[in-house]
Amino acid sequence: MSQINRIDGGLLDRTQKLNFTFNGQTLEGFAGDTLASALLANGHKMVGRSFKYHRPRGIFSAGSEEPNALVQLRSGAYQEPNTRATITELFQGLEATSQNHRGSLKYDFMAVNDLFSSFLSAGFYYKTFMWPKAFWEKFYEPVIRAAAGLGRLSGQDDPDIYDKSFLHCDVLVVGAGPSGLSAALSAGRAGARVILMDEDFRMGGRLNAETLSVNDQSGYEWATQAIAELSAMDNVRLMTRTTAYGAYDHGIVGALERVTDHLVSSNNKPRQILWRVYTKRTILCAGSTERPIAFGNNDRPGIMLAGAVRAYVNRWGALPGKRVAVFTNNDDGWRTATDLAVKGVEITAVIDSRDGQPPVAVPNGAAVVMGGRIVDTQGRHGIKSITLSNGQKIPTDCLAVSGGWSPNVQLTCHQRGRPTWREDIAAFVPGGELPLGMMVAGAAAGNLSLSSVLQDGHNLGNKALSDLGFKPTTETAAKSDEETVGISAFWHVKESKARAWLDLQNDVTVKDVKLSHQEGFRAVEHLKRYTTLGMATDQGKTANIPALAVMAECTGKSIPETGTTIFRPPYTPVAIGALAGRARGKDFRPSRLTPSHSWAEEQGAVFVEAGMWYRAQWFPKAGETHWRQSVDREVTQTRASVGVCDVTTLGKIDIQGKDAAEFLNKVYANAFAKLPVGKVRYGIMLREDGIMMDDGTSARFAENHFVMTTTTANAVGVFRHMEFCRQCLWPNMDVHLISSTEQYAQFAVAGPNARKLLQKIVDRNHDISNEAFPFMACGEVTVCGGIPARLFRISFSGELAYEIAVPTRYGDSLVRTLMAAGEEFDVTAYGTEALGVMRIEKGHAAGNELNGQTTAQDLGMGRMVSKKKDCIGNTLSERENLNRKDGLSLVGFRPVNRSDELKAGSHFIAKGKSAEMVNDEGWMSSVAYSPSLGHSIGLGFIKQGSERLGEIVRATDPIREGEIEVEIVSAHFIDPEGERLRA
Amino acid sequence: MPDYTLTANTPLNGFSRDFPGVSINEVNDRAIVSIVAPRDGEKELIKALKKSYDIELPNAGVLSVSAQDNAVLFCMAQDQYFLMFDYTGNTATTVVHSYLNDTAYLTDQSDSYVMIRVSGANSRCLLERICPLDIHPTAFPVRAVARTIMEHLGTTIIHEGDDNFLLLSARSSAYSFLEAIETSAKNTS
Repeated sequence: MSQINRIDGGLLDRTQKLNFTFNGQTLEGFAGDTLASALLANGHKMVGRSFKYHRPRGIFSAGSEEPNALVQLRSGAYQEPNTRATITELFQGLEATSQNHRGSLKYDFMAVNDLFSSFLSAGFYYKTFMWPKAFWEKFYEPVIRAAAGLGRLSGQDDPDIYDKSFLHCDVLVVGAGPSGLSAALSAGRAGARVILMDEDFRMGGRLNAETLSVNDQSGYEWATQAIAELSAMDNVRLMTRTTAYGAYDHGIVGALERVTDHLVSSNNKPRQILWRVYTKRTILCAGSTERPIAFGNNDRPGIMLAGAVRAYVNRWGALPGKRVAVFTNNDDGWRTATDLAVKGVEITAVIDSRDGQPPVAVPNGAAVVMGGRIVDTQGRHGIKSITLSNGQKIPTDCLAVSGGWSPNVQLTCHQRGRPTWREDIAAFVPGGELPLGMMVAGAAAGNLSLSSVLQDGHNLGNKALSDLGFKPTTETAAKSDEETVGISAFWHVKESKARAWLDLQNDVTVKDVKLSHQEGFRAVEHLKRYTTLGMATDQGKTANIPALAVMAECTGKSIPETGTTIFRPPYTPVAIGALAGRARGKDFRPSRLTPSHSWAEEQGAVFVEAGMWYRAQWFPKAGETHWRQSVDREVTQTRASVGVCDVTTLGKIDIQGKDAAEFLNKVYANAFAKLPVGKVRYGIMLREDGIMMDDGTSARFAENHFVMTTTTANAVGVFRHMEFCRQCLWPNMDVHLISSTEQYAQFAVAGPNARKLLQKIVDRNHDISNEAFPFMACGEVTVCGGIPARLFRISFSGELAYEIAVPTRYGDSLVRTLMAAGEEFDVTAYGTEALGVMRIEKGHAAGNELNGQTTAQDLGMGRMVSKKKDCIGNTLSERENLNRKDGLSLVGFRPVNRSDELKAGSHFIAKGKSAEMVNDEGWMSSVAYSPSLGHSIGLGFIKQGSERLGEIVRATDPIREGEIEVEIVSAHFIDPEGERLRA
Repeated sequence: MPDYTLTANTPLNGFSRDFPGVSINEVNDRAIVSIVAPRDGEKELIKALKKSYDIELPNAGVLSVSAQDNAVLFCMAQDQYFLMFDYTGNTATTVVHSYLNDTAYLTDQSDSYVMIRVSGANSRCLLERICPLDIHPTAFPVRAVARTIMEHLGTTIIHEGDDNFLLLSARSSAYSFLEAIETSAKNTS
């Protein structure tokens, strides 16, 4: 049997039949259905189990507020839990399964929880499971979590792709119901750039679900015309399946577009797009959400919101039941009765909590109970009857409940705006403080009649136009019949003895709220945390206000005095994948490649990430099975002959201007004003507080032109610091800075044969002999027949060394040329590991030593802080505690037992003292195995280190449980006199 | 003849690819030179620019366009301009110096950037996936230029012509930048 509850009418394309499965059963629906409407049309009332008690649950609403009908969609890696059937667009081949049950949906083993409900009230887990203590994490919590919860993740990587994008407009209209369409028409007709977005796949909002007329035609026909008119405007962008989920600073609105969720496959396109919408004005036309009334056993399948029942019948031609009763406290609930009666549905009763006369004509055959109350319901897997407070039992298979409508104010509160209470509609409406540029129209503003909604949207569309300098057109708002919207607040049936649910998703009952109050959790935020009210996927859209009302009763305060919890983004759930967008795996962040990257890849280099850079760490050769073998070889070969290393990643800053020298004199601690043209100088930079900031070299290429190098890690920080100095501290200086890090490919060429190698590629008219181009010389040269290059005679390795820079376009070619030209010298490429080994052997400080807590004094460079001039950090570097005689100093360390391995991070303790903080004398900052010396070596800071050479101390490593004896030695393990680099 | 010669490559080795409604092309025939007037020397620079390129110093956000070498001049910072012009040689500053003499501090930036042209009817659709700026013609008309961030990478965007945008980003991350653009093209085509 198929679609047993399908009736005529609705906005479906009945020519397009769609097959889908629910719990493996193949069912049929039509294009235009949601999963919920198709399930109802097929007679499926029960679609899930509740969170805690595993009670049968059915479809409750017809929108994103749905607390009950959460299903799992798709399978395998594509499986997605907790999807609301009410907004899931039906498509051919859709696979859905119910969730949160053991065994079948109908016979859930865990339904036994319901029998123990008296032990499982709010906060039960705070009071029980106290003993034995160790059981909580290992046993109780896993069991509770397994028993509760919603759907299950696939446990596999999400195979879908997501995107994040930007939109800009003059006017963003959120919600394409009657107010949204009116607002968009006003703004669009005047030429403003308008975006109209709606979470539904069909625009029109409640007009699609109601039988009210607009401009003498049906509401949905008017909506269709309005959408067609808007579609034809170049300045208007319509976005269906798009939810504005958050209002952020500066008028930015976050929105999620479900691009392919309604298709069987994404075809390698983004499944969802997260839009950041930059808008000058936002008109929030988010409508309102109907809320229920709490009474005994009000959670059975078949008990639904009255507006939803009407929507399923009017829009989707799907009958939630064949004998429908209505329980309402307002006029709108009656509309469900009259609409259904017109469709030929039997209305068994209308129970209105208000006294007096029915507001509209009573449907034929319906029992009317004014001032009535439902105290209980019956039916295990679906409602079969209701019991009134007078004891009368009325058979029904669907109960439509309306407790009034709550404006959807969430987005107005995302920046701490507080809604205000309106007694006449018994609901919160947007407060005075709205997010920047936001206006609220229609039902979201508390205007609940269609005519007022249409007018309101039109007016605010024009208001936005005026604000932005557009001239509104002379068009007037669409007209509709006036309908009655009277309400008398009624939140729960006090006479009910059975449990009465407030929050269906979290199984929170009236009793739970009362218990919360009884136990002292009286603030609304505490109520939420204690009971879990308003959490999870629906965020209490249907539950919050009735629960607040119950809380208010308990405290004796009014609802506005009780207040609301803070609404935070997102308005509806957003997949983590959508928030991540493309930033997954290798695309998590961009990567920077050195000019020699391709060549290094060809050599099989092992790369290391240095910030965003990928640097060659070492270059394994055939037969090398351990990284140390490669690194040792690279060091040995470089020290024996020549090695080449890509040092492009070092920051390079081009400094020009008449005051360039004086500028450097101020930012460096040591003097630069008198550096001759054609020379390089090592420099240290201090922070304002006197601590070491960075080190590097600056080369003077002309009287007014310097090129500075910085460490790779601090390239941006140093540039920013210098720009601050230039712009803010010394704005009158004639100095200009620009980064040239990207402009030049730079290679270190180090080793005794470095000069010989370079002489093969530097054009012969440039003399780079030791006499003509001594240590710390620099100059502009040409290589390989006229290619411009910069040559620096500087050494990080301690060897005779140069750094040669060419325009980056030649970087790849240069490394290949150097390696080819160096064959006769047995040249080797070396990576960052060998670079590190050689600098430790030479005793050069690097990032490990410039860690933000050491001074020039600590590094043995105290005398470089010139007292003949001022510089940043000079004054504060003179602080007494930074210049203590027993202060730290950088020295070298070697193991007493040469076969021991040093470990960076070890702390130094004097022999005979216990390894505790009070005896801590310093730490090991860098270590390496020195192939040149044949044992482990290290650099580190120890109190009065330079005066303790030859002393033995203990290097303790409590975390890795090691301790060895080490000897304090000079930091310069190799060539302490510097003969090699001057060779 | 030298014993060795060096071969130049471009950041993306001349990448070019068409997608429905949009083309992505690496631009590799343009040079970029940074121009800064010495302190109190702006008048001389203005005169030199007028005389040589027949252009003014532009305000931030707009291009000055010259027929000389198809040069465009745009502001990159408070006192810094980029001159972009047809040139493929190694000494772009020499070319500019020959026009401006010592009226400006010049720095070659030709090898600092990858230049990618995104053109075609779907170019704005593609760019809205990565460009936070409003590039609708009413907000960002032809000859507009701006600095922004695309997929974490600093980018300069120039509206060269109708549905025609030139993007400049750092050379070292050229492939990441290209991937961001290509992915956007795939996602929107």
